[in-house]
Amino acid sequence: MNQFHLQHNQSQELVHFPYIVEFVLKKNQTIQLGSFTQLQQQDSFCVYYIIEGKFDWVINGQHYVLYPGDTAMILPGSSIGGANDALDIGIVAWLDIHLNVLYDHGFDDEEKRTIEKVLLRNKEPVLPRLNQTGEILKLLESEIFNQEIGYAVRVKQLVEELFITIARQLSRQHNPYRNFPQTFMKLEQLLRENLAHQWTVAEMAAIVGLGNTAFTEKVKSYTGFSPLNYLINIRISEAIRLLKRADVNMTDIALDTGFYSSQHFSTTFKKLTGYTPSQFRKNNIKA
Amino acid sequence: MECIITIDLGTSAVRIFAFDMDKKVIGTAKGSYPTFHTQPDYSEQDPEQIFITVLFVLKNFLNEKIHPAKYAVTAICFSAAMHSVLPVDKNGVPLGNAITWSDNRGKKEAALLKQSAESKKIYDATGTPIHPMSPLIKITWMKNNDADRFRQTSKFLSVKSYIIQQLTGELNIDFSLASATGLFNIHSLKWEEDALRYAGIRTDNLPDAVPVYYNSARLRKEFQNLLGLPATTKIITGASDGCLATLGAGVWGEGKATVTIEQSGAVRVVGKEVLKDEKQRFFNYLLDENYYVSGGPTNNGGVIFEWFARQFGDFKNAYDLDDCIAHLMQDVHEVAAGSDGLLFLPYLLGERAPIWNANARGVYFGINFKHEQQHFVRATIEGIMYEIYSIGKTLEEHRSINSLSVNGSFASMPFWAQMMADMFNKPVSVKDNSNSIGLGAFLIAATSIGAYAKLEDAAKTVDLPEPYKPRKSDHAVYMKYFPIFERLSVKLADEFDALSALNE
Repeated sequence: MNQFHLQHNQSQELVHFPYIVEFVLKKNQTIQLGSFTQLQQQDSFCVYYIIEGKFDWVINGQHYVLYPGDTAMILPGSSIGGANDALDIGIVAWLDIHLNVLYDHGFDDEEKRTIEKVLLRNKEPVLPRLNQTGEILKLLESEIFNQEIGYAVRVKQLVEELFITIARQLSRQHNPYRNFPQTFMKLEQLLRENLAHQWTVAEMAAIVGLGNTAFTEKVKSYTGFSPLNYLINIRISEAIRLLKRADVNMTDIALDTGFYSSQHFSTTFKKLTGYTPSQFRKNNIKA
Repeated sequence: MECIITIDLGTSAVRIFAFDMDKKVIGTAKGSYPTFHTQPDYSEQDPEQIFITVLFVLKNFLNEKIHPAKYAVTAICFSAAMHSVLPVDKNGVPLGNAITWSDNRGKKEAALLKQSAESKKIYDATGTPIHPMSPLIKITWMKNNDADRFRQTSKFLSVKSYIIQQLTGELNIDFSLASATGLFNIHSLKWEEDALRYAGIRTDNLPDAVPVYYNSARLRKEFQNLLGLPATTKIITGASDGCLATLGAGVWGEGKATVTIEQSGAVRVVGKEVLKDEKQRFFNYLLDENYYVSGGPTNNGGVIFEWFARQFGDFKNAYDLDDCIAHLMQDVHEVAAGSDGLLFLPYLLGERAPIWNANARGVYFGINFKHEQQHFVRATIEGIMYEIYSIGKTLEEHRSINSLSVNGSFASMPFWAQMMADMFNKPVSVKDNSNSIGLGAFLIAATSIGAYAKLEDAAKTVDLPEPYKPRKSDHAVYMKYFPIFERLSVKLADEFDALSALNE
C-alpha cells in the first residue's frame, strides 16, 4: 500500500473528475505537532477511513477515538482536527467530494435530495466498523491509477456507491426497526419543522430507514393515509391555524405550508375543506 | 336503506363505523393523529389536525363505502376519549394544543387538592377521582402556571366539543364527557360550583352540558356539500368512549362487568347508583341521565406488553410488532400458570386504580436460575392481568360480578381471555373494542332517533359470544400468587417514593 496525495487542479490523475477535491492515503510514522490542527470543511463532503492505528480526533468540538474500520463523515461547515493538533501514528485514507458537481453527472434530483438530507441531518459524524468504505476506497484507488478501459465511469460509480453506502448506514443506524410510532413521530416533527419543503416519499422513507414501498404500506396501515396525504393533513391543519390569525397574509400562508402558490393552496383547501381560504378566514375571525 | 355513522375521537386516531338499522357493520375507516410530548409530563394534540383528519376520513369513507351503496345517512353520533381540555379565546380560536387524558403536568395540583378538606366533597359530587388526568386539575394547573393563556381563555372545551362546533356551529358537551371533567355534578347534572371555584372559572367558561341523545345540531352548509349529506342528517352529541365501550359490550344489569385492555385498561360496571368508595378509588361517570358507569382505570395495559416485545422480542421484519408478538406468544403455553414463581408488577407508567400511586414502577420478583425467556413473557402477561384482577376484586367489595365481557386488542387474544377467565374464576365473553365503542354510539343514536324506546331496550339487544370457561386448577395457582402481588404493590411504596425522589 503506497501513500498518495491527489488534489484537484494539481494532480493529472484527477483531470476527468472535477468533483474530487482531494483523495489521499497517508501513512503517518511520526507525531508532529501542528500537523493536524482544526480545519473547517468547505462546501464539500469529506470521508475519512481508518486503516491502521488509533486516532484521537475532535470533530465539531466533540472528542472521538477512531479505530481501524471506522469511517468519519465531515459535512460542509463542520470542523475536524487531531486532539493534540497532531495526526496520530497510523494509516488513514480520505476522499473529499463536491456532491453538487457529482450530481451534475449522475443522480436525479430526488435521489440527490434524499441522500443529501440523510447526510446533513446526521449529528453523529463517526460510523463505527463500516468496512465497505475501505473496500470502495481501495477500488477507487486502483481505478484512478490503473486507468483501464471504462475507468472514468467506474470512478463515478464508486463515488456514488460510497455515498449510497454511507447514507443507507446512517438511515439504518437511526432506526432500530422496533418502534414505528416513535420513528414516525420523529418524521412527523421533521415535516412540521420544514413544511415549506417539497417533501417526496423517497425522502421521508429514507428518514425512517425503509424502502419506498414498505414505507408507504406501513404509513397507510398506521395512519390510514398515504404518506403524501398525511403530509397534506399537516399542511392544511397548519394553514387553518394560520388563517385564524388575522396578521398572516394569504400568500405567506400558502408558501409557508408547502403549496406552490396561493392559487394551488386555494384549490386544495377548497377541495378538502369545502371552504376557500378567504371564506374560511372570514367565518373564523370576527371583527 | 338507512344507516347510522359513528365517529370515535380516540386517543391516537379517529375510528368511523357505519351500521345499518339491524346493527350490522357496513364499513369502517380510521385516520391517526399525533400526540406531542414537548416536556416529560406533557401530552398534547393539535385540534386542527384532529378536525382535518376527521373530515378527510369521513369524506373518503362516505365516497368509497356509503354513497356508492346508496345508503342514506340518518345520523352521525360522536364518541371521544375522556378528560381532554382545549382552551379557546373569545372567537373560539384554540389557544395552543389540546391537553389529553394522559397528560401529567398537574401532579402537584392533584396532590395538593387530594390532601385538602374539599377533596372528598368534590369527588363525591363529580365522580371523577382527583388525578392529573382530570380537567379540573389541568385547568387549575393552567391558572397557577400558565396565567396568560388562562386569562385569554374564554372557554375550556373538550376536543369533541370543538370538532362538533367546527362541523355544526353548535357548542356543547354531553353529560357523559362532562361527568369526566371533575367539574360536573353527576347527581344534579349541573356544573359543580365548588369545583369551578377551585379551578378559578365560572359556568360561562364551559360549554352547555346537553343529554347524550341531543340531536338538534346540523352540518354547516359547506360540509353538507363537501360530504354529500342532506341538511336533515342529525348530528348526535353522543358520550365518552369508556361509557360507550361498556354499553356496546353488552354489560347491562346485575352481576356483569366489562374489562377493556387496549394500551391502558379499565374494569367497569353499569348501574343506577354510584359506587361510594371511602378511599376514592373508583370513577362514577354518566352514561346518560339515568345510568352510571363505575369502575377503575389502569395505565398499564397492552402498552406494557408492547414495551416488553420491543425490548426483548425478535423483529424479523422491520417494525413488524404484530409478528414479533405472535412469535413471543408461541411458546408461552409451555410455561404453567404462575410462571414457576416469577411475579411481575406492571407499574411502568405509575398506576391509577386501585393503588393510585404515580411513583409506582415495574418489578420482576422471584427470578431464579431456571427461568427462561418464555417465563418472562408469561409473567409479564400475568402481571398485567393481576393488576386488572385487583381492580375487579375491589369493585366486588361493592357489586357482585358473575361474568365478564372483555374487549380491546390485547384482552381479545385467546390466551389473554382464557387467563382472565381462570384468574377471575368467571366466564369471559370477548367483544372487539373499537366495535364496542361504535356499537355503543350506534345504540345511543338509535335511541335518540326513536328506534328504541329507551336505552335499556337498546342495550339488551347486544348479544355476547360463547364465553371462555374458567379452569379451576389454574385459578387455584393464581390465587396463591395474587396475595404476594398485592402485598408487594403496597410494601414497595416507600421504595418507589425513594426512587422517584432520586430522579426528580
